[in-house]
Amino acid sequence: MKALLTIAWRNIGRHPARSGVLLAAIAVGLWAGTVSTGAINALMQQRMTYLIESEIAHVQVHHSHFPQEFRGADGVPEYQAIETWLANDGRVRAFASRAIAEGMLQSPIRVSGANIRGVDPEAERRTTIFHESMTEGEYLDSDVRQAAIVGGPLASDHHIEIGDRIVLTFENASGELTAAAFHVTGFFESASTEYDRRTVFVRAGDLAGLLADQPIRHEIAVLLEDETQAVALAADLNRSFPDTLARTWRELSPELNMLVELGDVMLFIVTLIIMAALAFGILNTMLMALFERMREIGMLMAIGMSRRRVFGMILLESTLLTALGATVGMVLAWGTIRHLGKSGLHLDQFAAGAAHLGWDSTIYPFLTTAEYASILAVVIAITLLASCYPAWKAIRIRPLEAGRDL
Amino acid sequence: MSLVQTDNLCKTYHPETVPVHALRDVSLTIERGEFTSIVGPSGSGKTTLLNMLGGLDLPTSGVVRVDGIDLGGMRDGQRIAFRLRNIGFVFQHFNLIPVFTARENVAFVMLLQNRCKSDMLRRTDALLDAVGLSDRKDARPRELSGGQQQRVAVARALASEPKFILADEPTANLDSESAMNLLDIMERMNRDQQATFVFSTHDPRVIERALRVVTMVDGAVVKDERHGDE
Repeated sequence: MKALLTIAWRNIGRHPARSGVLLAAIAVGLWAGTVSTGAINALMQQRMTYLIESEIAHVQVHHSHFPQEFRGADGVPEYQAIETWLANDGRVRAFASRAIAEGMLQSPIRVSGANIRGVDPEAERRTTIFHESMTEGEYLDSDVRQAAIVGGPLASDHHIEIGDRIVLTFENASGELTAAAFHVTGFFESASTEYDRRTVFVRAGDLAGLLADQPIRHEIAVLLEDETQAVALAADLNRSFPDTLARTWRELSPELNMLVELGDVMLFIVTLIIMAALAFGILNTMLMALFERMREIGMLMAIGMSRRRVFGMILLESTLLTALGATVGMVLAWGTIRHLGKSGLHLDQFAAGAAHLGWDSTIYPFLTTAEYASILAVVIAITLLASCYPAWKAIRIRPLEAGRDL
Repeated sequence: MSLVQTDNLCKTYHPETVPVHALRDVSLTIERGEFTSIVGPSGSGKTTLLNMLGGLDLPTSGVVRVDGIDLGGMRDGQRIAFRLRNIGFVFQHFNLIPVFTARENVAFVMLLQNRCKSDMLRRTDALLDAVGLSDRKDARPRELSGGQQQRVAVARALASEPKFILADEPTANLDSESAMNLLDIMERMNRDQQATFVFSTHDPRVIERALRVVTMVDGAVVKDERHGDE
């Protein structure tokens, strides 16, 4: 084995330029692919985290009719009892109850559809990071009566300034149209321009008072200490409060779940592309090396080197070559991901388009140890596979080749 | 029992298109300790005969026996293992592993034989000393002259302690001095270690020094003479 390793190792050094080019190709390809994978991970994670932290949270509780049809009258049954239950559950970090209405926003210049969300500012602060989206003015915990905060693009469309009055019209719990004037105290900008263009936030108490005579909440968002407990908590809630429907973020946002799965698919595709290039590189180099050394390999078999050993020698040679390139590529990728994971990868030139789609302009690439390991495992597997053909060709060489020049 | 025996050895290339009869009914015996030269013009079948004797190629008909064992009756892998234990080779070109030093080239066959390290090192040094390369043991083939490379090849051929050594035109690419040096070494190994050599050549100076000369023409043995008999 040592002799095979020595011969394989030294064969790599036989054509420094050729080996160097392949090494560089493997290293650069692996680096680029791994960093791309880290960036894809970051995009997916950022989107997921943002949606969870800014609005969805880990679990939401609604009226059991909520998924089929939203009606103002369908508040969460026993919502105060649920709040007490949540307050006493150790798995829960925070929760926020919300009143919701679908209606219209009327300004002096136009009318447009609006999703009106009544929130408890303090509870919302504890549960989501929505308050960090404020770009101008004050959040809902100001002293202003009937305060409203409006998405920046929506305010722009309506030419709304801070202090302006807007009229929100919606159907109350009895099915009657209700309208009320609100004072705009601030603007927000989330990661999604579309969301900002149709959403208005008011205090839950103000909205609930207009919706029904009794206190009403349509949604309770629950933030957990540990995301992995979401399924269990939702099941416990559904058992304890049968008229309600508690769902995890994966159920609430199938597109988010799909995004996570898409990330895995993209990881697979990127890896596949790199590996295909890697496989052809190895195949080409090893075949070239083989054709140059036909007589030498014939000589080795003539003097008694078994075909099994010849096969192993070729496999070892390509494995060593790939291991070198892969090590350089992976170390570079690890360093790059580590650096970008701290400083962030700035996608400023794409920021406008990214914001429209709900992405932030700075992402923080990362890769889990398992992902590094799986990339390495695939590299090794592909290398061995790609080397099999040249190795098979090598063992087909007849020892007679050694004397062919005579 | 003869060391090597061929019976009615025939080799025909392209038998179904344009048949080329490289060997015609060659029956030959080689005894232990012989220093035999196979001579003849180009295309006379010298190399084909050596390939058959070494189990590198198989005859169309006829039998090659080494120590009574029929090489044609073995599977390919068995023939490789047989060569490793019983036959040494010296080729005209591509003789050495270019990425190994002289020492490593000689030791390589013993590594393939799984010999113990101390035995391997001792024998390698002794062989390289014997072929006059004590001071070039760590040189790679490209750092050695053609003659020195062939001397390493002879040392390697002897390293596995084979029953006989086949050398195909070993002096063809060497200048006169190197060729004579190589022959001196081969003769000494033959005399001192009873190593059996069978080599092909065109070179009259080499033929002169062979103890037995087998002459081939058109694939057939036309003359077989022992210099000692004269």
